[in-house]
Amino acid sequence: MSNVIRLVWFDLKPELRPPIWIIMEWTVFLVQVSVYGAIISQLVTNPIIGDYSQFFAVGLVIMITFDMASHTGRHFVEHAHEGRLPYLLSLPISRSKLFLAIALQGGAELALMLAVPLTVTLVIIGNLSWVSVVACVLALFFLGFGVAGLMLGLSFIAFKSSDLYTAFVTGLSAVIIRFSTVLYPFIILPPQYASAAAFSPLTYGSDLVRFILGFDPSILLNPYFAAAILAALAASTLGLGLFLVQRLVEGVKSA
Amino acid sequence: MSEIRVILAIARNDFSYFFRTKWLMAILLSLNLSDMLVVALVYKNMMTIDYFFYFVPAVIVMGLFAASLDTGRRIWLALREGVIQYELSLPVSTHGLVIAYLLAGGAAALVYASSLMAIALIVLPAHAIWSAVMLLPFLFVLAMGLAGIAATLAAVASTHGEFFFAFQNVVQVALLTLSTVYYPMEVIQDYLPPALTAVVAANPLSLAAEALRQYTFAGAPIEPTFLLKILLASIPFTIVGAFAYYGALRKFQVQGKL
Repeated sequence: MSNVIRLVWFDLKPELRPPIWIIMEWTVFLVQVSVYGAIISQLVTNPIIGDYSQFFAVGLVIMITFDMASHTGRHFVEHAHEGRLPYLLSLPISRSKLFLAIALQGGAELALMLAVPLTVTLVIIGNLSWVSVVACVLALFFLGFGVAGLMLGLSFIAFKSSDLYTAFVTGLSAVIIRFSTVLYPFIILPPQYASAAAFSPLTYGSDLVRFILGFDPSILLNPYFAAAILAALAASTLGLGLFLVQRLVEGVKSA
Repeated sequence: MSEIRVILAIARNDFSYFFRTKWLMAILLSLNLSDMLVVALVYKNMMTIDYFFYFVPAVIVMGLFAASLDTGRRIWLALREGVIQYELSLPVSTHGLVIAYLLAGGAAALVYASSLMAIALIVLPAHAIWSAVMLLPFLFVLAMGLAGIAATLAAVASTHGEFFFAFQNVVQVALLTLSTVYYPMEVIQDYLPPALTAVVAANPLSLAAEALRQYTFAGAPIEPTFLLKILLASIPFTIVGAFAYYGALRKFQVQGKL
C-alpha cells in the first residue's frame, strides 16, 4: 500500500506546487455562484424550479466533479503520449495497484477541488443533516469514478491518435453537460432533448445529489433508479479501465 | 513591402494553425452550438423574457472571445517550443511579428464568429442581415483587442503553461460574467453596485452583444456612436497586448529565454 501512496503523491505533488488550478477552480466557482447564479436566478421565473441559485450551485458542483473525473482519464492518456506510462508500467508494482493509484489520485484531486465549492453549496442550501452531507459526497465520488472510468475506457482511441481522443473527449464533455439536468430540471427539457439527457450520466448524478440535498422530488428523476445507474456506471467503467491497464504492455505509446 | 509579405505569411500560417487544431475546433463548436441550440432554448422555457433571442447573438460574441483568446495559447506554444526563435530569424522586425500574431488572432476569431453568425441567422430570424456585414470590421477590431489580452497573459505567464491557462480561465470567466452576454442590464443594475455596473456597460463584450442584438436581429438602425464605443473599448486592449508581447520578445532577444 505504501507504494500506491507514494505513486499517488508523486503524481499529486506537481498539482500542489503551486496549487494554481485548485485556487482558480475555487475562484471561478465563487464568481459564478455569487454573480452569474444570483443574476440569472432573477430571470428564472418558472415556479416549479424554486430558488434557481441553489439549483445552479449544485449543477456547478456536478460540473467540477465531471471535469476532474474526465481530467483523470485524460491524464492517463497524456502519460501514454508523453512516454511516462511505460515508466509506470515498468515499476515493480502490480497492474491492479497501478490502477488503484490512478483512481486514488483522481479521488484526491476531486476532494481538493470540491472542498470549497461543496462547502459553499451546502451552506447556501442550509438545514442539512450529517447523513445527507455524507450521502452527497458518496454520490459525487461514485459519479466521479464512473466518469473517470468512462474516459479511461475511451483511451483506446488515443492509442490510434491522441489528437482524435482529445477532440472526441472534449467535444463529448460539452455535449454531456448540456444534454443533462445539470443546469435545468428534466421536466423542463423539450422531449427530443430529454431523450438525449436520459443517456447522460450527469443527469442521474445531479438528480441524485439534489434529492439527497432536499430538492423537490417532483422535478427530479427516481433517486433509486439514479443510484442504480451511477453504481452500474462506476462498476462497469472502472472494470473496463482495470481490464485496459492489465492488457497494456511495456513500451506502449499513444500515436 | 517585402516585410508586409512576411507579416502576412506568418499571420496566414498562424491563422491556418487555429483551424487545424482538431481538439480546439471540437471544444469551440460543441460549446457554442450547444449553448445556442440547447441552453438558450431550454432557458427560454424557464424565463419570462425571450432568452433564445437574447442569448443566441451573445453566443456569437462568446465564440469570438474564445477564438481570440486562443492567440495567447499559440503565442505561449511558440515561446515554449522554440518556434519563436525561428520566427525571430525571419526577415521581419519584432513589431512586425507582433502585428502578424494579432492580425492572425483577429482574423481567425472573426472567421469563426462569422460561421456562428451564419448558423444564428438560420435559427433566429434577422431583420437586417446587412447590419451584420457592417458590424464585421468592428468585430475584427474587437477580436484584435481580445487577442491583445491573450497576448498579455501569454507574455506574463511566459514559460509557466499552467499559469497561462489558469489566468486565461479567470479572465474569460470575469469578462463574460461582468457583461450583458448572459443577462440584461436592467437585472444587473438591480444586483451589482454602480461601480461594477459601469464596468459591465463599458465591457467590449457587452457592447458587441448589444450591437448584434439591436442592429442585426432586432433591425434597429445602426448608431455610429455605438460603433465608436466598440472601437474605443477594444483598441486599448490591442495596444496593451501588442506592447506586452513586444516587451516579451525583446527580452527573449536579449536574454535568449524568458
